[in-house]
Amino acid sequence: MKSYLSLTVLFVFLAMGCASGQRTSTAVVTQPGHDPNPVLLVADSGQQAADAQVKPKTQSGNDDNFNYDDDTFKEERIEIADPIEPFNRAMYHFNDKLYFWALKPVAQGYKFVVPEPARISVKNFFFNLAFPVRFLSCMLQADFNGAATEFGRFGINTIWGIGGLLDPSSNKEIDLQKQETDLGQTLGVYGVGHGFYIVWPVLGPSSPRDSVDIAGDYFLYPVSYVYPWYAGIGVRSYEIINGTSLRIGDYESLQEAAIDPYVAVRDFYIQYRLKKVKARKARSLIFKVEDASSPAADKALPNN
Amino acid sequence: MKKQFAVLAILIIFVFSIPVYAGAPMATVEANVKKVLDVLRDPKLKAPSAKKAKKEKLRVIYKAMFDEVEFSKRTLALNWPKLTQDQQKEFVDLFEQVLEKAYIDKILDYSNEKVDFYKEDMKKDTQAEIQTKVVTASKEIPIFYRVLLKDGQWKVFDVVVENVSLVQNYRTQFNEILANKSPEQLLEILRNKVKEH
Repeated sequence: MKSYLSLTVLFVFLAMGCASGQRTSTAVVTQPGHDPNPVLLVADSGQQAADAQVKPKTQSGNDDNFNYDDDTFKEERIEIADPIEPFNRAMYHFNDKLYFWALKPVAQGYKFVVPEPARISVKNFFFNLAFPVRFLSCMLQADFNGAATEFGRFGINTIWGIGGLLDPSSNKEIDLQKQETDLGQTLGVYGVGHGFYIVWPVLGPSSPRDSVDIAGDYFLYPVSYVYPWYAGIGVRSYEIINGTSLRIGDYESLQEAAIDPYVAVRDFYIQYRLKKVKARKARSLIFKVEDASSPAADKALPNN
Repeated sequence: MKKQFAVLAILIIFVFSIPVYAGAPMATVEANVKKVLDVLRDPKLKAPSAKKAKKEKLRVIYKAMFDEVEFSKRTLALNWPKLTQDQQKEFVDLFEQVLEKAYIDKILDYSNEKVDFYKEDMKKDTQAEIQTKVVTASKEIPIFYRVLLKDGQWKVFDVVVENVSLVQNYRTQFNEILANKSPEQLLEILRNKVKEH
């Protein structure tokens, strides 16, 4: 099992190595004041960029609002390359069926039997147990404040929160907030890009970079060391079912709202991870000196 | 005497109007969200049969709160001018229906959750981000409203839920569809999406 995992890690690193063709399309930005008609839209190709340069002018006659030079929120147009889309779509459908046919019915039954406060306590317990990976990630990100916070939370919640079932650290008096971070974000803080999009069976949306987290999670999560192995898997499954029972309906409404659910999920994933890494970077003592936006965006967006 | 009084009155108006102006975007969004919560918590509308009346009331608030044309424009971005004016009109209408269908039940489920308005981030004179969080028993969901001043009114043009911008999410989807398909085909997809339920 361990050798298999190290192989996976190796593969992941190799895969990241060849993923140099990262297609992070960034905004074409002109500095305010330089150009009276700046164009701020993402362009995948030079052709589109050229189109964009022309359009606002030609459009200004009948469509005066099309000019986006007032768009202060432009910096977030980030995409991820998806070279293995057919595989990903297949895995997406697999996960979709897994959710609707297996996970959801089980979670619903469980939800019916166990009251919500108990399920929240179980969630707290597992969250507390996963402390090592968060602590290490904070340390590696040079966010010592966050590491201390996590350390304090772990101590307080384990002792006064009955082994982590309760979360007294989050209340107003103590006010030690969760540091939800992982090794994928840590690499992101170092400036490592996503590479490309992968949908893993069962585990869902990821990228070569964030897959490092799957490995890290395995070694740093105490549940992985539960003996025998099938007991560990049982505990893991229970954790997943408990977590799902608190989130039933979220995925359904996402799917309902989406025009193309696969693309919607991919975009959710990439936006969510990007903001997380940005937030982590801003907390870091060492890495925040650089621009807090993604490395590719740095050059294009000096002012943001 | 009269003159002094007038000067004083004007001064008072200025003194009071400045803080009010600074808080206008937040106040507008907050008032609208409060209206929504009032409808949701209205004991007269608790019965399941009142669902339709509730939806009707919420639609009125939504219309006042959102700038749906701006929302559509930003979602289509570069593709917006590729649509004819009729297509644009239909798109705005269909897109609104898709959103309503997708989110109305979710919104109707809300009742006891607390909405906390904690920050107004003025990006510039005419744009702001209102940061709120919805506090439920098990978690806090950050919801940011991006508002824009148009004709003296602050209107929402993007909603950011858990750090994910809705406008951008739809933009990625529409971009991908319009890369291979015509605007008419996109409208057809939306028509089917609206019909499907």
